[in-house]
Amino acid sequence: MDQQLTPYTTEAERTAGVRIEPGKRYGFFTDTTVCIGCKACEVACKEWNQLPAEDMSLTGMSYDNTGALSATTWRHVAFIEQVRPAQDHERDDGVPDRWLMMSDVCKHCANAPCLDACPTGAIFRTEFDTVVVQQDICNGCGYCVPACPFGVVAIDDCDGKAHKCTLCYDRLKGGLEPACAKVCPTDSIRFGELSELDAVARERVEELKAQGVEEAYLYGTPDAPGATGGLGRLNAFFLLVDRPEVYNLPSAPTRPSQRIGAALGAGLVAFAGLAAAAVTLLAGTRNGGGR
Amino acid sequence: MKAVTVRTRSPAAGGPSLPARHGRYRGETYYDRPALKAAHWDWTVSSYIFLTGLAGAAQAIAAIGQALDRDRYRGVLRNARFLSSIGSAVGAGLLIADLKTPKRFYNMLRILRPTSPMSFGSYIFGAFGGLSWLSALGELRSGRGRLARLVRRSADVAQVGAGLTGAGASTYTAALMASTSTPFWAAAPRWLGLQFATSAVASAAATLSLAERWGGRTDNSRRLDRLAALATAAHLVASLGARRQRHDKGLDEVSESPQGRRLELGDLVIGGAVPLAAYALHRLTRERAPALSVVGSLAVIAGGFLLRHGTMNAGHASARKPRAYFRFAQPENLPRDRSVIRLGPPR
Ligand code: SF4
Repeated sequence: MDQQLTPYTTEAERTAGVRIEPGKRYGFFTDTTVCIGCKACEVACKEWNQLPAEDMSLTGMSYDNTGALSATTWRHVAFIEQVRPAQDHERDDGVPDRWLMMSDVCKHCANAPCLDACPTGAIFRTEFDTVVVQQDICNGCGYCVPACPFGVVAIDDCDGKAHKCTLCYDRLKGGLEPACAKVCPTDSIRFGELSELDAVARERVEELKAQGVEEAYLYGTPDAPGATGGLGRLNAFFLLVDRPEVYNLPSAPTRPSQRIGAALGAGLVAFAGLAAAAVTLLAGTRNGGGR
Repeated sequence: MKAVTVRTRSPAAGGPSLPARHGRYRGETYYDRPALKAAHWDWTVSSYIFLTGLAGAAQAIAAIGQALDRDRYRGVLRNARFLSSIGSAVGAGLLIADLKTPKRFYNMLRILRPTSPMSFGSYIFGAFGGLSWLSALGELRSGRGRLARLVRRSADVAQVGAGLTGAGASTYTAALMASTSTPFWAAAPRWLGLQFATSAVASAAATLSLAERWGGRTDNSRRLDRLAALATAAHLVASLGARRQRHDKGLDEVSESPQGRRLELGDLVIGGAVPLAAYALHRLTRERAPALSVVGSLAVIAGGFLLRHGTMNAGHASARKPRAYFRFAQPENLPRDRSVIRLGPPR
């Protein structure tokens, strides 16, 4: 493949030190320990992708008034305010009251369930190993929505199509770093090639452990929590310091299409068994059974 | 880039684990907000699933009848053919109505994707519908001309195809539900397949039995009642199995929700206990009260719809309950060896 499609220095090289080339695998590493909850990523995403604002009311649960990812919200900063009940303050177990923040996003799964489910081919894997919905093909069947193990992709009732993060497919094509990663003031969101991000992430976990943050771990790297059940890996992965569920993530998600064989096979076997029974029950020429 | 399947080493027993200090899952959630999005499916989809099950199994029974004793099962054949051709047309309408961009319905046949029951199911259903219409043509052409004979002969061949694709049409819908992340559907894939297959055969036999009784062919109706009763008994076993497996996978919260209770009432009582009792009484009373057979058949048919509709709604409810999903998505519930398709009783 032509390595030098772009002879000049692209913007992503200057802002993220990443040269974007088709055929390589890209993703996000979101280090939640440096997220400050500013939501610049949410805003930058909405701006670049021209996504409309949603419900403007307050959730009343925390500083998170976005609530969840949706068809028109592709980055969502979760706020977890961990304040222990007063009596626990007596115990000195070294765990402080704390705020956890995490900028959630589509995981661009290696074996993406939404792509597995899509019957029209609207959802496809790009040359950057990301997962994108083609709006001109989607017919709004909505099957990708329950397929996603992370509750990411959604149908917009205004246009009747499925929408989710594209990992700024258009920007990548133009040699630009995705909007959220570019705007993130703490580099909590890092964009790059997967092999490089993996190394950075592993180093960061070691660094945190050395600082005494024993609870730090990666979510979504190969063979880690989040990359379970046939998903392979998550191209957008995270560094977490509490259980995944605390961040609204499942510990051990699965690739749903692996259940097709069990359901269909069992169904067909049962059907065949009853058909064999029907042959016996319907056979015979005389009128049986009394009258 | 070509789609690649990334294979990982099979995880250590119980799957990858968190740092030990995080302990076991103790019901944490993110402010009780859903961790999943539910499918948008409403009654159009549950009706479609019910209808394809009914029509698919009816065509299979009719194909068996055609092979065994064509004259005796003339009525069964005719009814199954009309039922399935009308049913598949209605089913296609329901499917298109369910799309959020219905004018692009034809994109369903743009690709064939074996990992998507929505995709390969559309082909199975399309083939079933086409073969059903072909088989129904055989009922419209009487007479002795060469063309009439040809139509009837191809209708008989189509009947076999309709029976085979009918088996697929009435069971792929279980895979459609099981291969999602919706916990209630995902937790018991094998049992769901058994439930849908047994319910399809039961409701088809019950419907054809009603029609035979109506047409005065009591003996055929009696035979079909037996098939319906057998399938219903098998169905009860499958439903109880599904219930147990969902319990084992931590979904009691869903089973005990209003949606879960409604499903049990519809499936176990209306579609299970009531028809079995009615069929048993009918035989015990030496078939002196045909109403009992009719009641049994109607209950089976109603139960077949309530199974699909109730399972769908319990699934939606489960997707909105983060604790149910998080309990289900624990390492101990991971498939142990995903390269093997196990057909035996679930663990
Ligand atoms: S997180 Fe969900 S929407 Fe994103 S690639 Fe995976 S399955 Fe698709």
